[in-house]
Amino acid sequence: MALRAARRRFRAWARRHSYSFFSSLGTLLQHRLGTLMTVLVLGIAILLPLGLYVSLKNMDRLDVRQEDWSAISVFIPGTMAAAEVEALAEAARDRPDVQSVSVISPEQGMAEFREVSGFGQSLETLDENPLPWVVTVLPAEVDTRGSTATLSLRIQSLMDFLERDERVESVQFDYKWLQRLGRFLDLGRATVLVLGLLFGVAVIVVVANTIRLDVAARADEIEIFALVGASHAFIRQPFLYSGFWYGLMGGVLAVLMMWLALFYLSIPLKRLLDVYGQGFEIYSLSPVQLIILLLSSGLLGWLGAFLSVQRYLRMLVVGGSLGRR
Amino acid sequence: MIRFEQVSKRYPGGNQALSGVSFEIEAGSLVFLTGHSGAGKSTLLRLVMMLERPTHGQVLIDGQSLNHMPDKQAPSVRREIGMIFQDHKLLFDKTVGDNVALPLLIAGLRYREIRKRVRAALDKVGLLEKEKAWPLALSGGEQQRVGIARAMVAMPPMLLADEPTGNLDPDLSWELFGLFRELSEAGVTVLIASHDLSLVKRMGARVLVLSDGVLIDDIPARSGGAAF
Repeated sequence: MALRAARRRFRAWARRHSYSFFSSLGTLLQHRLGTLMTVLVLGIAILLPLGLYVSLKNMDRLDVRQEDWSAISVFIPGTMAAAEVEALAEAARDRPDVQSVSVISPEQGMAEFREVSGFGQSLETLDENPLPWVVTVLPAEVDTRGSTATLSLRIQSLMDFLERDERVESVQFDYKWLQRLGRFLDLGRATVLVLGLLFGVAVIVVVANTIRLDVAARADEIEIFALVGASHAFIRQPFLYSGFWYGLMGGVLAVLMMWLALFYLSIPLKRLLDVYGQGFEIYSLSPVQLIILLLSSGLLGWLGAFLSVQRYLRMLVVGGSLGRR
Repeated sequence: MIRFEQVSKRYPGGNQALSGVSFEIEAGSLVFLTGHSGAGKSTLLRLVMMLERPTHGQVLIDGQSLNHMPDKQAPSVRREIGMIFQDHKLLFDKTVGDNVALPLLIAGLRYREIRKRVRAALDKVGLLEKEKAWPLALSGGEQQRVGIARAMVAMPPMLLADEPTGNLDPDLSWELFGLFRELSEAGVTVLIASHDLSLVKRMGARVLVLSDGVLIDDIPARSGGAAF
């Protein structure tokens, strides 16, 4: 008996919800222009932190190839004899703080450059090869997460050794720059968090205001519902659905705009990165992240609607103006 | 069914709407509430619907005091009451049928069941062919009857009406009162606030008379009532 009663109550609950579900959709479709404008505002509000997040993710992936960046590049004038260069490389190889050493001759450098730069024709006109020898020294076990201070200490003696050699023209260590970039990315990530929170609040406020106007426009309807015995939950439900739809549609719009922007940027970006020899896939949201983004957009909208309707319903309790002419 | 025990209501601002009102209405009876306008008729109905709370005394429904009921329970009290308003309180952007369906939607009935009951209720007030019409296309009397169909559709044990004949001609009013009598004979408790004294007297039902918030007379039903 109790089970049957519970099932009947559940069915009644489900029917009430399906009514709210469809009536909320109907209301949004009735006011297409207003809905569109709200969704546009929400879409832009969501796009700002989302866009920054995706941009940072893409920059972050540049340092996937850590080895390239953590190596020390030693430049030696192109006129130097191959044996001299090889001697230096051998000396470096013998040090315990060196993992590996490779040598790129000016000829190899030119061949590689011709291939990737697309300047093949114009390079033919050069009388002599302007490129230097490049000796790439990979330090042993560079801890990428170490602080700049420790890093300097460990690398400094190796740097000094290379710089002191009179054959060497200059020594370049990109890792510091990479680490600085890392710091900027950290700052960017913090900014995403702050922006995300701010614009999350913006989504709540925009939806709350839209729903507030909607509630005011339908005050008579709400009154009649309350008079014939509708509970607050029943009155609230269609508005909560509306809020959810607003948030969800704003999220969908933000994602569409992001994809469009990425597509537009992907062509020049690919061309640029190809020059640097980086195989690069543009990063976009994963399916799971996409679902989380859309759901949380919807929930923020729901929350905005809830805050708005709740304030109004509080005025409808006993002793209010309900049913009074 | 409905019991008032020394009920007083003073509105904020000092208007004393009811003073020490006591009476009891048995289940299935038809009772009229009369008095000049401002005598407290509407306040009395509002107290039964939990739209107001008494300043003193208590209102009981089925032996349960509304004083002890939290505001949250007001909707479930209202679902046990069919209320008819003088200004109809219809939704003008919904068809007649959808207006009548409202209490059933709230109850969460199945769609087919709702349609069936809505048609039965509209048939009862003679508006079956207006199911798909818009309320604004109806006359004042027809709108009032839509309101009555909505009040009856969920078959509540109690029906309250606030000046239901306010906009109706005497013939329609008489017909309407006949409908209320039928309902009370079917076991529904009916309480009607009306200042249409001649009509109320012709009905021969019990009459409560309010004056300045005081119950000054309680005229029992004439046996047999009026002939139709």
